[in-house]
Amino acid sequence: MPVMFTTLLASAETLINGLLKHDPASPSRLAQLAGQRVSLRLERPALAVLVHFDTHGITLLSQHDPDEADSDVVVELDAETLGALLGGERVEALMFAGRLSVRGRTHVLERASQLLSDLEIDWEAELAHWLGDMPAHSLSQGLRRLNRFGLRTRGELQRDVHEYLTEEARLLPSRTQWEIAREHLTQLGLATDRLEARLDRLVREIERRRQEEHAS
Amino acid sequence: MDKRTTHFGYQEVPVEEKADRVAQVFHSVAARYDVMNDLMSFGVHRLWKRLTLERAGVRPGHHVLDIAGGTGDLALKFSRLVGPRGRVVLADINASMLRVGRDKLLDNGVGDNVEYVQANAETLPFADNSFDCITIAFGLRNVTDKDAALRSMARVLKPGGRLLVLEFSKPASAALSRLYDEYSFRVLPRMGEWVAQDGESYRYLAESIRMHPDQETLKAMMEDAGLERVEYTNMTGGVVALHRGIKL
Repeated sequence: MPVMFTTLLASAETLINGLLKHDPASPSRLAQLAGQRVSLRLERPALAVLVHFDTHGITLLSQHDPDEADSDVVVELDAETLGALLGGERVEALMFAGRLSVRGRTHVLERASQLLSDLEIDWEAELAHWLGDMPAHSLSQGLRRLNRFGLRTRGELQRDVHEYLTEEARLLPSRTQWEIAREHLTQLGLATDRLEARLDRLVREIERRRQEEHAS
Repeated sequence: MDKRTTHFGYQEVPVEEKADRVAQVFHSVAARYDVMNDLMSFGVHRLWKRLTLERAGVRPGHHVLDIAGGTGDLALKFSRLVGPRGRVVLADINASMLRVGRDKLLDNGVGDNVEYVQANAETLPFADNSFDCITIAFGLRNVTDKDAALRSMARVLKPGGRLLVLEFSKPASAALSRLYDEYSFRVLPRMGEWVAQDGESYRYLAESIRMHPDQETLKAMMEDAGLERVEYTNMTGGVVALHRGIKL
């Protein structure tokens, strides 16, 4: 397991450093982070990864004996939150949602997250290196058009499916209905708690009276 | 064994001859060292070194000594981990290996926090308590007096510092051991002949591995040298072991 995990980290490190090399903004962002360390601690499976930043890129190391003093910031999270973080979700949003526990210098985590989420790879320059300027430019334009078409189609498809499921087939509740149902459930939960507290109090009262009768 | 002789692979040679003979081997293989390492270990040596890096616990500002650092694989990573406030010393007894290592590190943009020192591990030319971490990867078995080398490393280690010894060792299972013997004595020298045009050096490599102390013996040697909390981790079924000791 440790060897497998180390292999995985080595591959991830190579991939991320490869991507960072192709982003013209990375050197300045890495310079701001150089020497900083983030310790990521996953609850299940129990894993700890140290992310070290320097001007050349990042180093990912498995932490065998995690120590708070090893890093500038410690992040405790579950696998789902890690996915959200890597997917570009903002650190503050995850922290406020209670999905992320952060100790230490939080701005380091914010900068580290931006380094990956704001990654803009200059594919055209890379293609030009292999194909020449003109073919690379034509190919990039074609790919950009295809990307825009894909994004537009995905948006339209999402809207159509949503409309069909909620308005036509009525298989899913609308946002408003969902909010109202959630509010009702919250109220029901609070009422149940109150009822439980009253019943507890009554049970204690009955118990007290029974003990008094026995005593007299 | 006579006091004035030592092992050079399976041969008994005068003590004063071993360093020169080892030097000849490494002068011969230095240029193709990295390629051969990748070929011989199928690239797994990178993983063994990465595990060493993980166990080293090096932080920014630390002083690290990489003995028998060869072509600088560990020193390159350490230089990034210690940052500009730290220092990495790449030491090797062999000038050819040191030159290849220095060129590789310079090509990778490493320069300001790495020093290169041609030094004998048995008599390290550093002040007592100088380093937070010392590593020696695939180098200890080539040292003539291993006990003296371990004592020298313990001397220059700071209190609380760690010594990591990555070295070939004894496979845990008999089946793997037989397979490993076949590979070491039949395949390796031929591979050395084809790629590095030097089959003899790679025959020495296989023989020197067999003559190297096993896991428990090396652990005891490190404890005798003054290191504490010595532990080892077998890798690839014990073909390689990583020993770690702390100077308290």
